[in-house]
Amino acid sequence: MAYQLYRNTTLGNSLQESLDELIQTQQITPQLALQVLLQFDKAINTALANRVRNRVNFKGSLNTYRFCDNVWTFVLNDVEFREVTDLVKVDKVKIVACDGKNTGNAAE
Amino acid sequence: MSNQLNLPQPKLYRSVIEDVINEVRELFLDEGVDEQVLMELKTLWENKLMQSKAVEGFNTEEQAALQAAAQQQAQQAQQATQQAQTQQVLLPPQQQAPQQQVIVQDPKILQHMSATGMNAATTAATLALPTGISPYQQLITSQGQILQVLRAANGTQYIIQPQQQMVLQQQVLPQMQPGGGQAPVIQQVLAPLQGGLPQQTGVIIQPQQVILTGNNVQQNAQVQGGAAPGGPQQQQQIQQQVQQVQQVQGGAAPGVPQQQQQPPMMLQVDGAGDTSSEDEDEEEEYDEEEDEEKEKDGEDGQVEEEPLNSEDDVSDEEDQELFDTENVVVCQYDKIHRSKNKWKFHLKDGIMNLNGRDYVFSKAIGDAEW
Repeated sequence: MAYQLYRNTTLGNSLQESLDELIQTQQITPQLALQVLLQFDKAINTALANRVRNRVNFKGSLNTYRFCDNVWTFVLNDVEFREVTDLVKVDKVKIVACDGKNTGNAAE
Repeated sequence: MSNQLNLPQPKLYRSVIEDVINEVRELFLDEGVDEQVLMELKTLWENKLMQSKAVEGFNTEEQAALQAAAQQQAQQAQQATQQAQTQQVLLPPQQQAPQQQVIVQDPKILQHMSATGMNAATTAATLALPTGISPYQQLITSQGQILQVLRAANGTQYIIQPQQQMVLQQQVLPQMQPGGGQAPVIQQVLAPLQGGLPQQTGVIIQPQQVILTGNNVQQNAQVQGGAAPGGPQQQQQIQQQVQQVQQVQGGAAPGVPQQQQQPPMMLQVDGAGDTSSEDEDEEEEYDEEEDEEKEKDGEDGQVEEEPLNSEDDVSDEEDQELFDTENVVVCQYDKIHRSKNKWKFHLKDGIMNLNGRDYVFSKAIGDAEW
């Protein structure tokens, strides 16, 4: 099973909201919605691994760090994200990272 | 400049959506769910993506797919009228609202609906459902009736459809729910049952999100109005329900429907409103500060905190980026390294949401000091 990590993204959240709407109007069952989400997990993991090919650098100051259940969570302040084409600055960013060595775990 | 970053996104997201939809099609059929529900899911999904403004809008391929589907159903229905066709032509030139992407979808759906010979109300209803946001405009339906799309100040949009001879077919199961918490959005199609209504406001559709910025929280409100021959009465009912929804959701609404202002009962810890008590503090100083705490200018507990907080306030929260989004990066880590207080991050396969926009990376390397 792929990571369920990407459900809390724009793409994932909009999918979940849409599924919730359909459940509310009883057009689909919650079970089916769950299946869709699992399928989404697979698709997004595959897409990210295969279809994306860009690099980003970032620099900032570390506010907090946490390592629990093999998941790193960082909060950085005053960060600059730099890509070849562009620069993005944010005052605060939260980074959630799952173990990238093996995608065998489904982190909930 | 940032547009360049966003360019790969739509294609990537498109392909992900396509993959997911295609793969769940089987699941849907196994469950006995209609293909149309699948299409609705896809449309809802894409609309929300567009609304978030993190990605671009519709692909032309999908518009073509919609057209193809519409034409197929038109052949099946065999009720294409000349009026429908001429008024389909009328639609595109009238759409001059800013959101062009949404507009483009409208004629396809209207075309679809009118081609099957359904009534204007159904057309309007179906129009309201998939698009989510209707631009501020007037649309002419297949039967020549004018739909007025009104956009309230808060962002909710009402579609008021004057109807006089309508037999509506509901395509979405209507459900009355006063809503609660962050309830999912339910789009309700309400239909006046019979024709000959003297009053014009027959159908009021409130399909969208209610954005309450009082607490800097975006909440999806589900507001539904009841369908009945009494139009204006229902508007009041609907507004009351809206109020209830909002009150339930955040408690932020002071009873006035859908205001984006902060409710008056919010205490102001900083800013211009506190100068009076601060002046008193400075003048009186020493022990009299305690007296002021006992006086309490009507702001409970705030006077105590003021002398302490006024120095600490770096106004970081206020000066945070324009958007309320907490910038999040979701990814996987290859290696996390630390030397004393110097951290190095090697990340991969991530999706970032920064300042409200989405970015993607296959690799990210970072440095930070703790």
